[in-house]
Amino acid sequence: MITWIRRNLFRSITDSILTVVSASILGFVVLQVFQFVFITGRWEIIQVNLKILLVGRFPEDMMFLVGFSILATCFSIASLASGVSRTVETTPRLAGRLWELFQRFGLIIATSAFLIVLAGDLDAILFGAYVLLAILGGRLFGRARRNASLRKLPGWLWVTINATLPLVLIFLTMGQAALEEWGGFLINFYLAVVSIALSFPLGVLLALGRRSTLPLLRWLCTAYIELLRGAPLFVLLLLAGVALEFFIPASIAPDAIFRAVTVFTLFTAAYLAEVIRGGLQSIPKGQAEAGKALGLSTFKITFLITLPQALRNVIPAQIGQFISLFKDTTLAGVALSVFDLLNVGTAITKQDDYLGQGLIYESLAFVGLLFWVGSYVMSRESQRIEKKLGVGIR
Amino acid sequence: MKSKSLSVLAVASAAGLFLAGCASTEAETTTPAATETTTTTTTEAAGSLLDSVIAAGSVRCGTRDALPGFAVLNDAGEHVGFDSDFCRVIAAAVLGDATAVEMIDLETADRFTALQSGAIDVLVRNTTWTATRDGSEGANFLQPTFYDGQGMMVTSDSGYMKISEMDGAIICVAKGTTTEGNAALESSRLGLDWEIRSFDETDLILEAFLAGQCDGWSSDVSQLTGLRSAYPDGSESLMILPEVFSKEPLAPAVLDGDTAWAQAVNWAILATIQAEEFGITSANVDSIRDTTEDVGILRFLGADVPGSDGAAVLDPNLSLPTDFAYQVVKQVGNYGEIFARHLTPLGLDRGLNSLWNDGGILYAPPYR
Amino acid sequence: MSPQLSTPSKAPFFRDIRTLKWVLQLLALFAVFALLYWLYGNYQENVAKSSIQTDLRFLDNPANFTIPGNDLDQSQPVRDAFVEGFLNTLRVAFIGVVLATILGTLIGIARLSKNFMVRTLGTVYVELVRNLPLLLLLTFMNLAVVLQAFPRIENAWLPLDLFVISNRGIAIPWFIGSPAQLAIGVVSAALIAFVVARVRIRQADKSGKQDRAWLFGIISFLVLVVLIWLLFGYGWELPYVDGRGTTGGLRLDPSFFALVASLVIYTSSHIAEIVRGSILAVSKGQGEAADAIALSGSQKMRLIILPQAFRIAMPALGNQYLNLIKNSSLGATISYFELTQIAQITVGNGSPAVPAFSLTLLVYLAISLVTSLVVNFFNRRLALVER
Repeated sequence: MITWIRRNLFRSITDSILTVVSASILGFVVLQVFQFVFITGRWEIIQVNLKILLVGRFPEDMMFLVGFSILATCFSIASLASGVSRTVETTPRLAGRLWELFQRFGLIIATSAFLIVLAGDLDAILFGAYVLLAILGGRLFGRARRNASLRKLPGWLWVTINATLPLVLIFLTMGQAALEEWGGFLINFYLAVVSIALSFPLGVLLALGRRSTLPLLRWLCTAYIELLRGAPLFVLLLLAGVALEFFIPASIAPDAIFRAVTVFTLFTAAYLAEVIRGGLQSIPKGQAEAGKALGLSTFKITFLITLPQALRNVIPAQIGQFISLFKDTTLAGVALSVFDLLNVGTAITKQDDYLGQGLIYESLAFVGLLFWVGSYVMSRESQRIEKKLGVGIR
Repeated sequence: MKSKSLSVLAVASAAGLFLAGCASTEAETTTPAATETTTTTTTEAAGSLLDSVIAAGSVRCGTRDALPGFAVLNDAGEHVGFDSDFCRVIAAAVLGDATAVEMIDLETADRFTALQSGAIDVLVRNTTWTATRDGSEGANFLQPTFYDGQGMMVTSDSGYMKISEMDGAIICVAKGTTTEGNAALESSRLGLDWEIRSFDETDLILEAFLAGQCDGWSSDVSQLTGLRSAYPDGSESLMILPEVFSKEPLAPAVLDGDTAWAQAVNWAILATIQAEEFGITSANVDSIRDTTEDVGILRFLGADVPGSDGAAVLDPNLSLPTDFAYQVVKQVGNYGEIFARHLTPLGLDRGLNSLWNDGGILYAPPYR
Repeated sequence: MSPQLSTPSKAPFFRDIRTLKWVLQLLALFAVFALLYWLYGNYQENVAKSSIQTDLRFLDNPANFTIPGNDLDQSQPVRDAFVEGFLNTLRVAFIGVVLATILGTLIGIARLSKNFMVRTLGTVYVELVRNLPLLLLLTFMNLAVVLQAFPRIENAWLPLDLFVISNRGIAIPWFIGSPAQLAIGVVSAALIAFVVARVRIRQADKSGKQDRAWLFGIISFLVLVVLIWLLFGYGWELPYVDGRGTTGGLRLDPSFFALVASLVIYTSSHIAEIVRGSILAVSKGQGEAADAIALSGSQKMRLIILPQAFRIAMPALGNQYLNLIKNSSLGATISYFELTQIAQITVGNGSPAVPAFSLTLLVYLAISLVTSLVVNFFNRRLALVER
């Protein structure tokens, strides 16, 4: 222990000075944060406004639909994750399993618990219990697939059921509330997910187009990609805010969410195209040549051989792009007045009860916490996937 | 890499050519709007906004949601205020139902593009009528509902008593409003070296003002009065300086080139002023209509006017129902009532906004 | 019987792969142009309905607003305001890039330190900042730091009696005299110092002693700058609180400070990761060889690792610089008068929206293009010449 301290902290004079200085900085910051969070912080503003921070002006009577959607999503994620069985040797003992779970999901569990505590009412605690039940149920459902009879189900069917069921439920239930009423953290999430989903096919097409041997097509795709990568997202959103209606027929009245999704989709497609192009370049030429030797058409080679491998190789980079987009959805709040989490966070400090009391620290701390947990967990998962896929390790 | 730079250059030059091309092709279409409107009056009756509003059964009114006195959301989520009432006036006149209105909240930056793109039918959002907006924003401004001026608000303990004392001050204004230009003009006129910072929204100005980043907040006096009444430290801590340094006639606006709709909206507004001149209020309109013998009032309310060849109802062919004025006064009120309902509680005097025969400049053309 | 080799018959015209390729291309092109034409048609139709301009004539209209920090008159054309906004963007970009690189490199190296505390500090910083949205940092800097934490002008902080810090800005001591002259003087002093250093290296090579060329360079630079200072009679000006503002010195706009601070903090966390990754990517053998010839830790870093790491990091760094420049457009949300703010204001004042914002986009594109050309130039210079 002492040797560890001596070696890592007090190697030399300069080292010791550095240790003392950085320790005091760290200590000071931690102390201030601790004081702020537990002692001097006035968290009432967050507690009172928790609903609009998380889901905006979602109609009260339909809030249970949000809960329903969350439960459905937890269920299917849990069942997807449990469908794959681990070999006996790699399955650690219970303590090890719990530690692993804690490492992976501890942050999310802690944040959810924090939110439940903030909400402070029985409904929230019950909801937490429901989520646990949904996860357990999902695991059981997923485990059931290991049963011999269900194992005959093809993998893609399993994934499709698990993926589409919650989506259909979400669509049916949340679709009841008009999009203008969505807000808060929910709309950040919604914008990010919808935009990345829509931009994905476009990005793939652009990447393929940019590598195409047909010069005109290649020129067009390159022009699109370079144009959108050189433009600031904020200015594009502002432009869409005032100009989008001029480019579509007068019968469609674009609302703020429509504009935001359009811009985010077009913008992310350009970046995704570059990422996917990198993936395509990393596939050895031999793969395509083998495909040709088998007599496959270019189309089949691309979509059955090259593209799947390329996409798999760049999953971490794609997740990185998603995280980036998730953080950039805050721009829709200032450029298009979408009622997103950051916008709500600054707006609640101007409510009659809280105006002029310097509550911006508490508000931004909460907003920052939600964004930080979301990004951190996603980037950690991406690192985990990267390690599992063995990408980047020679 | 070279291809990348070349392609971007190509795109940039293509875009430049595109814009330049626009310049040449637009030369014809942007020549005087006067010729455009005269040629289209004959054919537009077919495609007027008035018809689509009547068909849709509601008026889409562009407004805002957080200006005390003019338009705020109450607990029930309804818009309450001076501008909101004039939206209802238009609905009452055109559709006979003051509640047949769809309030669409707009940011300052979007208000004209919403009008231009047809997202709203009429803009009633404390907007100043200027020549530039008439021309380059493609807006057609109607009877001003409020003759305002731009003023300056400071904190009471700043020690400023007059604008001329504010040399070297930091003035905060809202982006994209006439206040910026007027403040800059005033600053150079008086030889005061103001630093003018412009913000996206009133909220941000409020933050900066509270923190002491701004010495003065310049905006329309009506806006300042409303904001002062909602100030967290109480309205005594703020002072609106006496000088007014620009003309700010606040008027509703419709899109250029639609005379039928413009006239309909215009006369709906004028009806409130004429009603106050006649002394008709929402309380006594029924009794006046039934008992008066004044031909002018009878015509105005769309009642039968006894004439030499039988009774007749005046229909000036404005494409409005003949009793539109009656509906307006009955369902919403006359100008004085609307003003007293929303602006008098803030402490605003009628001032210029009184009737012409009462020391002000509100003058409705005769309804005949 | 020998099999009859049939000559491969040429595919008919409409099944020939070459024609098909071209047909496909043309179809795709046609589809794209049809889409663009439809969009353009909609645009023309909607614009004609509302009689707004669609060309660049708005640039000649008077601006009707002033820009804090310079003497632009509000009757000058919009074009001048755009130029000023462009210059402000460049200011933010330049200072942001320099500070972010310095801070990012330091933190990246700190993350690899053998000292546990220093390493933890670096890791906490990077992990914390990297996962936050830039707009959140900017909002925090503006609303929490500048507006709340910084004092009002009456109670301004006066650290060391040299600076004046309040929520109206940060005033720093500044020189009195022509800035252009001083800039030329400083640049020439730097060039001369560089030459001195090179001469010293050549001299030291012959004698075999340690050249310490950097010391010579810095001393000659400082001597030359002081000489220029005294020669041209430059003075020093300290700021002080004067009524409701500050007099003297250079006043940094509070929004400028908030924007640069948040951009630097945000970008430096990304740069730290890139630097760390690139140092790790330098093959271990290099470090081991440096140890074998008994180079000290700082010498190893300075002479062997960092130069190679820099070469690896260059493209990614260039990317971050581009991001910083594009992110500077967020200054419009806190009333800093850079290019996007100017565009927003002119559009609000009646300039047509599509041409104004398209012009802004083109300017950003041009800046991006120039920056990536510069970065690529350095990249090619530094790239390894492979077999």
